[in-house]
Amino acid sequence: MNFSRRTFLTLGAGALAGIGAGCDPKRARTDIWRRIGKPTAMPMDGSLKAPAGTEIDEVSHAISRLTFGARAGEYARVAAMGTPAFLDEQLAPETIDDWQCERVIRHEFDELGEPASRFFQRKANLTDPLQQMFPGLRTGGARVGDLYEFKEKVLLSDLTRATILRAVLSKRQLFEVMVGFWSDHFNIDPSKAECKWLKTADDRDVIRGHALGNFREMVRASALSPAMLWYLDGRVNRSKDATEKPNENYARELMELHTLGVHGGYTQQDVMEVARCLTGWTVRDQKKFFKGRVEFHVDLHDDGAKRLLDVDIPAGGGARDLDRLLDIVALHPSTARHIAWKLCRRFIADEPPVAAIDATARAFTESKGDICTTLRALFTTPEFRAPEFRAVKFKRPLHFVVSALRASNAETNASNELVQLLLRLGQAPFRYPTPDGYPEEASHWQSTLLWRWNFAAALAQNDIKGTSVDFEKLSGALGGDEAVMATFLGRLPGEAERAAFHASGSGLALLVASPAFQRC
Amino acid sequence: MNAPQALITGNGDARQTLIVVFLRGAADGLSLVPPIEDDAYYKARPRIGIPKNEAVKLNGFFGLHPNLAPLSPAFAEGDLAIIHSAGSEDQTRSHFEAQDLMEHGGVAAGGWLGRFLRARPAPASGALACVAVGKALPECLLGAPTVTVMQTLNDFALGAKSPALRPELERLYAMETGQLGISARDTFDALLRIDAMRTTPYEPANGAAYDTDEFSDGLRQLARLIKADVGLEAASIDIDGWDSHFTQQTLLPPLVAKLATGLAAFRKDLGARMATTTVVVMTEFGRTVQENSAFGTDHGRGGAMFVMGGGVRGGKVHGEWRGLGELEKRGLSDSYADLPVRNNYRNILAPILQRHGAASEQLASIFPNFALTPLGIYAA
Repeated sequence: MNFSRRTFLTLGAGALAGIGAGCDPKRARTDIWRRIGKPTAMPMDGSLKAPAGTEIDEVSHAISRLTFGARAGEYARVAAMGTPAFLDEQLAPETIDDWQCERVIRHEFDELGEPASRFFQRKANLTDPLQQMFPGLRTGGARVGDLYEFKEKVLLSDLTRATILRAVLSKRQLFEVMVGFWSDHFNIDPSKAECKWLKTADDRDVIRGHALGNFREMVRASALSPAMLWYLDGRVNRSKDATEKPNENYARELMELHTLGVHGGYTQQDVMEVARCLTGWTVRDQKKFFKGRVEFHVDLHDDGAKRLLDVDIPAGGGARDLDRLLDIVALHPSTARHIAWKLCRRFIADEPPVAAIDATARAFTESKGDICTTLRALFTTPEFRAPEFRAVKFKRPLHFVVSALRASNAETNASNELVQLLLRLGQAPFRYPTPDGYPEEASHWQSTLLWRWNFAAALAQNDIKGTSVDFEKLSGALGGDEAVMATFLGRLPGEAERAAFHASGSGLALLVASPAFQRC
Repeated sequence: MNAPQALITGNGDARQTLIVVFLRGAADGLSLVPPIEDDAYYKARPRIGIPKNEAVKLNGFFGLHPNLAPLSPAFAEGDLAIIHSAGSEDQTRSHFEAQDLMEHGGVAAGGWLGRFLRARPAPASGALACVAVGKALPECLLGAPTVTVMQTLNDFALGAKSPALRPELERLYAMETGQLGISARDTFDALLRIDAMRTTPYEPANGAAYDTDEFSDGLRQLARLIKADVGLEAASIDIDGWDSHFTQQTLLPPLVAKLATGLAAFRKDLGARMATTTVVVMTEFGRTVQENSAFGTDHGRGGAMFVMGGGVRGGKVHGEWRGLGELEKRGLSDSYADLPVRNNYRNILAPILQRHGAASEQLASIFPNFALTPLGIYAA
């Protein structure tokens, strides 16, 4: 008889009588996930009034930076509520009713359910046959060990598609934008070893669980994320005795990438001390029960005294060394500056103004790493709002593609064809090998223009499987070409753009491929 | 439209092209270039060693894997050099780490090939100055001024179904100043040239017969670009799947054949143009000297590199080789060991880059924090 380990655990031996040899639950589940759902678009409702200025105004600017691009009607909605209220709304995603997006995600990707966090309460649905079969799903998505029931390719495909769908559909746009930001910041390439399964939990519990939470808590969650312990070798960082040297891989990236930054003022000695603090944390071996579980082995921990960044950590701390270490690095002034610089680079300009970095870093420090407070400070700097920094960022490929799908109100199921196009453009989610995450600056992304233009043509011709646009319907709803152009560009078209739109034979392709649409 | 001379970028009239073939997954150098006169080799690999009578004889001591036979004319004619015991200083034996380190040319931002293309007095800038055959930009090309990632020449097209789109985009992008405008103009430029090539079927020269696999097809496209003088200066192309932990005898032969037939056809097709074209074949590390219990080999250290064309001192196995007597320990094992890296990959790439226009002082920034002692793979 062929049944899974977890089915045994959740259903109990009695229930197994109902599972015959021909009914392999593992296979059944895998097949369920393979059924790609129907393409979905968000309904167009409310006022669809397009921008009417000749330049990007504050409303268009806020939308283009805080979201994956304007949908029809978004400009009118934000203009009516005002940008401060829009910012309030986006910084409180739990108050946004996002049932359409949630429904798609839960229908297709139940293992990706939201974590129990202060933002999202997971609802039990007793009529859901999957929840009946797997009670664990009623409370918090699949548990880490449960993920091993899936084929790894299914998990990567689900995670990738769900990420794209959420970016396209969710009303919690800033939350999704920040999920993307932290996915790069704490990048894990799922192709490495057990990360194939465990990255799914990392995405849910670390990235999505803390994307607008507290930075220190997020670093802590990441440090204890089984996927991170695999990806950066923390699981083999041990020190049984003086002869065994700790593995510094994670320690270095924690300092260089996750917290202080490469010029953050730490030394090689500090990296070694961090590694010592973290010795003994590991992931339950793949061949054992409860595989994927994170454990602390005190016998593998170097329990001597440490000195990190001129702060003494006394001997005998055991597992608490982790928190001592986080107390030192997570809110260190260099960390504040590093995170502020990265956020400003993402949201203001590739070379962000120093004043904005200062203000953002100050908010980070004063709020003890509260991400919402930090973002609010950034978005209210004069620099963020200054006209000179509008439309100066070059959209990264995912942003570009998603913004086109949003502006055109495309129905999509984020099928593999779309993912392949993103790969061609150089940025599909969860395909970046190094821990530094996809680069942010324009220079990395400008040599693949041809593929952007080809994406635009394919979208306009409905040549992408699982994605379709009804351009006439969109144009009709918006009230004509001018409004369509203004919706895509965030402002009225210039003379040249208008002429090109009409002469191109495909207004949609022209807009998506146009220079202005590459920027945000 | 550009005048014809503008088609040639960077290295001017020299029109040299460097093709980097990366064998991903760690190719077993001791199967590609077995030391067939060393009894220790057959002791270490009683079941999976390349039999002496099947190997292609090279210089007596070394042989070639039988499926590399298509490359033996290149070796015999002095156009193919081999470097054994080659690799990087990376000790992790991790594919990811080792590829990364090797492609970055050390712990450095961007890739060595990218830095090379940017570092020269006349940086490569045409849209087809650098092509990565495949779907993604390889690490070695990070930081290049421009790279076109493409699977086939047919990919390099725009809007077949909406012909009016292209001129309108060209008009809009012509108004762009800055890097976006430059990138766009490079792209339109390249489109024009590729259009011209597409309208004529390609006949490989000298009776070269390319296979139909992706590798051969990629090389065919590259040969075509080189001969069309579009200003191609560097290209990368990979063969995946060399990670032969088990049943190596069934896994390797088709890959080796793919490598050899592709390169042999490419060389034949280019003919005299091989003199200004260099192909370098590399892999992240070699594999254990001893076979494992599953008829395979595990992640090791030293592997083999190949350099073809471009006036290389071929017909020779270059670099230091101390036999299988002095091995590198793997952990605590006394019976499972690695071929040490005696020839750092940078010392092979550096002379190649010099030949392709890098000044010796630029080599220090292309391969930072490394004391170069370039191998003499070219005549002084």
